[in-house]
Order: sequence, then C-alpha cells, then structure tokens
Amino acid sequence: MTRVQLLDVTKRYGSTLAVDNVSADISDGEFVTLLGPSGCGKTTTLRMVAGLVDLTAGQIKFDGQVINNVPPHRRNIGLAFQSHALFPHLSVARNIAFGLEVKGTSKQEIQHRVAEMLDMIELSQHAERMPAQLSGGQQQRVALARMLATDPRVLLFDEPLSALDRNLRDTLKYSILDLQRRTGKTAIYVTHDQSEAFAISDRIFVMNEGRIEQTGTQLDIYLRPRTEFVAGFVGDNNAIRGEVVGVVGGAPGEPGLVDVRAGGMRLRGLDPGNVRVGDKVLAFVRPENIEVILDGEPAEEPNLVRGRIDQIVFEGPTVRLIVDAGGVPIRATSGGIGRLSLLAQEQRNVVLRLQEITVVRDDPAIAA
Amino acid sequence: MTHAPAEVAIEYEIADAQVSKPLASPRLRGGLLLAPAVVVAILFSIIPLGYLLQVSLTQDSSFFFTVEYTGENYREVFTRYRSAIAETVYLAAASSILDLIFGYPFAYILIRKVRYRELVRTMMTFPLFGPLYLAFGLFYILLPNGPLGPIFTMLGIDIAKYLFSQAAVLFSMAVFTFPFMVMNIGAALSNVDPMLEEAAKTLGAKPWQTFTRILFPLSWSGIIAGLLLCFGWNLGVFAQPQLLGSPKEQSVLSIQMFTKGLVQFNYGLAAALGVVLMVMAFAVTWISLRFSRGALGA
Amino acid sequence: MASLAAPAGTLRPRFPNISLKRLGDALAHGYVWVWLVIFALPFLATLAYSLRTADGVWTLSAYQYVLGSFKENLLLSLQTTVLTIIINLIIAIPAAYAIVRHPLPGKSFILSALNLSLYTPAAVMGVSLVIAYAFLFRIPQTMIGLIAAYVVGTFPLMLVPVIVALRDLPLVFEEAARTLGATRMQTFWRVEIPLLGPGISAGILLTFVIIFNEFLVTLFIAGPSTTTAALRVYNLTRTAGFQPSTAALATTMQLISFVVVLLFFRLFGSRYLKGTYLI
Repeated sequence: MTRVQLLDVTKRYGSTLAVDNVSADISDGEFVTLLGPSGCGKTTTLRMVAGLVDLTAGQIKFDGQVINNVPPHRRNIGLAFQSHALFPHLSVARNIAFGLEVKGTSKQEIQHRVAEMLDMIELSQHAERMPAQLSGGQQQRVALARMLATDPRVLLFDEPLSALDRNLRDTLKYSILDLQRRTGKTAIYVTHDQSEAFAISDRIFVMNEGRIEQTGTQLDIYLRPRTEFVAGFVGDNNAIRGEVVGVVGGAPGEPGLVDVRAGGMRLRGLDPGNVRVGDKVLAFVRPENIEVILDGEPAEEPNLVRGRIDQIVFEGPTVRLIVDAGGVPIRATSGGIGRLSLLAQEQRNVVLRLQEITVVRDDPAIAA
Repeated sequence: MTHAPAEVAIEYEIADAQVSKPLASPRLRGGLLLAPAVVVAILFSIIPLGYLLQVSLTQDSSFFFTVEYTGENYREVFTRYRSAIAETVYLAAASSILDLIFGYPFAYILIRKVRYRELVRTMMTFPLFGPLYLAFGLFYILLPNGPLGPIFTMLGIDIAKYLFSQAAVLFSMAVFTFPFMVMNIGAALSNVDPMLEEAAKTLGAKPWQTFTRILFPLSWSGIIAGLLLCFGWNLGVFAQPQLLGSPKEQSVLSIQMFTKGLVQFNYGLAAALGVVLMVMAFAVTWISLRFSRGALGA
Repeated sequence: MASLAAPAGTLRPRFPNISLKRLGDALAHGYVWVWLVIFALPFLATLAYSLRTADGVWTLSAYQYVLGSFKENLLLSLQTTVLTIIINLIIAIPAAYAIVRHPLPGKSFILSALNLSLYTPAAVMGVSLVIAYAFLFRIPQTMIGLIAAYVVGTFPLMLVPVIVALRDLPLVFEEAARTLGATRMQTFWRVEIPLLGPGISAGILLTFVIIFNEFLVTLFIAGPSTTTAALRVYNLTRTAGFQPSTAALATTMQLISFVVVLLFFRLFGSRYLKGTYLI
C-alpha cells in the first residue's frame, strides 16, 4: 500500500538522454501504465523504480521516503519480466519460494505460502515441474506467483505479455488486473500495446523520447490528446496543419472551441487552452469520427469538407477510405450498414463531416 | 476506472539529489576480482620467463651468477645446436603434415558420414592424456615380443627396426596431435554446406575435383589453423623422441634443455635454448592468431 | 551403374550386390575405425603388458606395486590435481566475472597475458621455473612450486569455459533474484553458480586430465619428495626399462582419466568444451 513518486527522474547514458525529467505521483493502490514506442524510456524508468538502474538525477520516493540509494533487494518490490525469468534449475515450487527462502522464512510458512500462490494461479498440480516443461502462459503465471509470494508493496511489470501470442495476452492481462485489484497493491505497468494499456489501467502515462507527453485516463488520452505525438500514437488520427483564426468561448462548464483555417477547410475543434489567433496548429480528427455524406452541396459550415475518394477498401466490419480534400489526404472509416452503399456507388465526390476535432499547438521545437 | 483525476498537482523540493555511488566503482571491483589471476600469472609465468631471458645471457654454471652479460650462449646455440633446432623444426613440421594428410579424410568422414560421433570423440581423448603414455604404449607394440608380435611376423614386418627410429617418433607425434587437426578441420568443414558438394557433383565434377575446387578452398582456414596448432605443440615435444627415438631425434630442444640444465647444470645454455624454443613457439602462435583474426575479418 | 546391354546370349558374370558407393562408405568407415584402433592401441598394449609376466602368464601381480610403492605417487598426483582445481576455481571465477561483467581497460591484453602459459611449451615453462625457483624465489622442489606451476599452466583452461558460460547466462536471472529480495551473495550462490555449473565442470575436467597426467614440467621442477605418478612412470622407464609394474601404473593412470572423462560427457555433454582445445 504504497504511494510512489518520481521527481524529475533523469537517466543519461553518455551523451544520450534516455529518461528526461520524468515526474509522476502514483497513489496507493493505483494501476498506472507507461505507454510508448520502443526506446521511449519507459522500461528504463521502470528499472529505476526497481533499483536495477541508477538515476542520473532526480528522486524516487516510496511513501515519502527517498529510495534512490536503496538496493533492489531491500525495496520490497515485485518485478515481472518480459521473459518470465524463471530460474531454470529450480522447480515451480522452489521458484515461487525463492523470495521467501532468501529472507529466511520458516519452512512451514514457505510451504503454506507456496501452496496459497499455486492455488491462486491454479497450477497446484505442477508444483514439482521444471519451468521448461510448462507452456508460455503457465510460465508467466508462475512468474506472477513468484513475484507476489513475497508480498511486495509495489508491483512492476516490464512488458510481461509481449512474448506471448494474442489469445494468451488477452486472457492474461485480465488476470493481472484481477490480481492487482484483489491485493490492492500499487502497480506500474510498461507496454507499447495501446489496447493492453487501455484495458487495465487506472491512468496512463504516454511517453516519447524520454519524456512524458501526457498523463490521463483512457478517455483523456484518446479524446483529448495534448500533443501531436499522443494524438498520432494512440489509435489512428488524421493530422491537418492549419492556423488559428478565432477563439470561441464555450458555455459555462463547457470547453471552449477554436476556429482553424487549413487550406480550403474551415475546422472548429476543442480549445487546448494554449493557443492564440495566428498560432500554427494541428487539427486532429479520428477516421471513425468522420461521416461520409454522398450527395448534396454542403452548407458553409465549419467541419464540412469537400473531397474526392482516392481509395476505398472493404475490411469486413468497416470500409476504409482515403479522401483527397484539396490536397490533404484524409483517412476515414465507415461502419454499419451504410458502408455497403459506399462501396456500391460510382461517383467519387463526397462531403465529409468531421467530428470530435482536437487541436494541438504545432510547435516545431517539440520534435515529434 | 476509479480514482486519479486527470491532472495531479505535483509538489516537490528541488530534485537535484545526487545518487551516491557504492564504495567501489565497477572498474575497481573488476580490477580486484582480476587481481589474483594477474598476480599468479605475473609471479609464475611472466617473471620466470623474464628471468630465463636474463639467465640466458649469463654464463655461470654454478649457483652464483656473475653480473657479466654475454651472448656467448646464443652463439653456441646457433652454431653447435643448429642441427638440434633444425631437427626440432623438422619433426614438428613433418608430423603436422602427416596429421594433415591423415586427419583431413578422417575429419571429412567424421563430419559427413559418421553417426557415432560421441564414440569417436571419447576415443579421441585417449591421446590427449599425454604423449608419455602414447610413447610408452607404442614402445610395447614395437617390442619384438610385444603383444602384437605375432601379427607383425605374420605380416612379414620386422618390427624391431622401427624401435628407436624417426618413423616411430613421427608416428607417435602425429597421433598425439591428430585430434587437434581433426577438430580444426572438422570445424571448418562443418561450415561447408553439403549441398555445395552435391551441386558440384551434378555439374560433373569428379571427386578429386570437388576436393580441390570446393572443399579445400573452403576449409582452408581450418587447415592452416590445424597445421599451426599441431606445429606449435610439437615444437616442444619431449617424451616421444626420448623414449622412441635414436640419438638424432633426441637432439630436440626440449630434451637438450633438460640435459644441459638439470644434468649438466649449464643453466645459461639451457636458458638460451629455452628462449629460442619459446620465441619459435610464440611466433607460431602469433601467426595463427593473426591468421584467425584475418580469416574472421578482424 | 547401368551397363550397356550385353549382346543376347552372352553369359555375364553375376557380381555381388555391392555398388561403388557402398564400397566407398565401407572404406570410409573402415578408415575411421583404423584410427580409433590406433588411438586405443597404446593403452591396450600397456594394459596387456601389465597383465603378463615374463612367462606369458596372465596375472594381476604387477598391480600390487600400484597399491604398494606407487601408492604415494598416486596419492600425490590426486592431491596436487585436486588442489590445483580448487585454486583454479577460486582464481578463475572472479576473473571471469571481471572480464565479462566489468569495464576494464586493456582487456584483450590482460587476457593474452593470462593465456600466455597456454602458448608456452612445457619444457620452456619447466626450465624457466626450475631456474626461477632455485635462484629467484628460493623454493626449489617444493609442493608450493609444483602447485603454482600447475595453476599457471591450466588456469586458462578453467577461465575460458567459465567465460563462455557466464556470457551465456542472461542477466535477467540475477535481476529477478535481486528484485525478489536476494542479496548479491545469495544471488551468486543460489542462482549463478548452479547455472554456471556445466561451464565450471568443463574447466574442472580439463584441469584434471592435464594435471593428473602431467610429467614434463614436473620433470624439471620436482624433487624426490614431490614425484607425481606420471613422473614416476617416466623415471622408471629411464631407469628400470619397461617393466610390467610400470605398465600397471601407466594403465591405472589412464583408466582413472578415462573414467573421469566419461563421467563428464555423461553428465554434461560437450557444449562447454567448445573453444578449448579438447573439442
């Protein structure tokens, strides 16, 4: 039951900045995920929390106590590795018992606890097997049991599922969530898989090139991305370059809007709060939020865009289009019954109604 | 999903805390771990060799060395013992070539055709137990009334004349380093795809041509490595010439070193002989290391 | 192998059904077997000689010398071999860690210096040590000198397999143990040593085979009280000629070595001997 704080945590390897001033405040019992592409620093950050990597600068605190200099074996953490890392020379039971044995726990206590753990992961009859004899999913479950046997106060997960196949991943991620809920321990999970992060986290930290780009719930990240990277990384998103031409305040309690001119398009999207008229921005609209209207001349409304269908592909549940809107390629997907008529028809000129547009400052200083 | 608002205000002190290093840096710890090995190597390998060099430049044969340095020993080595050096080099080279001639087919068959490799490998450890036993056993075999006596008389071979002969010495030397040659060639051959030979065959190459045009070039590195290894090892040969050889074979450097040093107490000369042998052996090693690095593309 | 059709009516001799290929294969296998026999012959000849007296009677009487006056030499051989192995382990394992896991300047140079004894002919090492022991260190013909020589001579053979094993040991096991609460020492003994086992045993095997049968360096530096069994064999050959008792000792030595090698291959296979000269 631990509150974990990262304060301006930095890691430098020679001249490379792997982790750049990462700060986070994780409440007791929270399940957070560090989400990002390979090399974004999420694993390095996790390993610093684990104590396997020294910090170049910054602090890490558990329950208010600075633990920078505390070696890993005294931090009372649990770490689940990508490669399960079960000791090949020990049986399943001995693996699970390892953390207790090194602490000098009594034999009786160890036996009891191991049985408890085996029961929890439903592998009691495999106690004496060697790791090599188990399937990938079973191995990872034993790794989880081993981690939990010592009753750590923080759970750390380093992409534990990426080595497994799709089906296994889907079931196991809920097991992990379930375990965390039941034990109520603070958990930090690292992955590059957005759907995994979305399925199990209370909060997500999106990381890129050593920095946290945005922190929030799934809804925040998906619906209100704050940076170009976040908008593009999580789910597909169209990025349209433009310039702010007007700021429209919203009703009290409602978010404000901005008007953006992008080429021949007039777009109205959510006000990010940090733009003025004349600023260069990126307007983001997700393909699933675009309505394809086949006929009629559009009124001169914001978010109605005229274009020509360049490409149309039937994907099964959806139809994917690429529409050329005055030189800007816009990706749209259409589901439901209506998608079939899209396919059927000959004429290429369409009108797109863009919805749920988010606006982000186009800051060349922040390299994407 | 429960708690945690979208935005958390973070309060913190100036987070500039340095991480304190553990007492010893990895570099220092590494040095400490390596120290015993390095100390032992210096004390019992490097210093004695250096001392050997020093002694080789002195000329006293009693227990006190003069401070006078002279190259007299080396002059003697390169005049009176020139034939000894030649004999040493000749025996080492000849046995290595024998190893190549007989070892190559052996390695080829082993790699390509034999299933019972474990057995072969086990049997090949016998020579490695030491040239002493090899020489010993061969002596028995060559004895006129030895265990194989009847077979030899049946084949009409006068076995006794091979005792104390160069042939016996060469044979026993070749047998001792045979496994080294086989392993090197075997390693090189196992990197040659059997399909290459099949391709050559289908293109009409006769076995001899397949060998010269395909196998030989591709296993070249193994051949050189094996030759150098056997040669270097056999330069220091002692037991086989001593037990099985005529006085000519017994003039090899190792035996000379023993006689001059421990029997005649002419330490200076023994040391000089030792230095010469050492230089030859190191030269061979250096060449083979250079070669393997070159072959691997450095 | 099809032959041109014979004119009708001609009797063709019936050849046995051996194709050229099968003949070639048979020759090939035969060649291998010839050499295997050659390898085994010296040992077998020695064995045979040890079992016969001058009258051609088969007896084990020569072996009583092994248990009798040779016993001390055998024990000394075993003693020195075991001591060498232990010292090698104590020195080589930390050295392997230093080389594999720690940043050090001039590593390849240090490695070459450590491997120097491998490239030094035994006689050269022998003569340099006998002179150094006598005049520089003043420890002529002592056990310490003997053991030191053995350690220096076989240290590289212990080092290389351990380095190979350590390189192959994924760091993640150490990390897992540490996060589970094990101290550095606990991790070392409970996780790393067991997983390095095969590599370490390869080093032990090599050291054993070489030191147990070593006689050349010993010839230079040993004295009457430090005569190992291998050296005894040599001395006897030079003094008493070829006797059944000597043969008995030689046979015993080889048998012991052979059994140890067999045990190793049975237990560990040959993976960790790669890169050394035994495999």
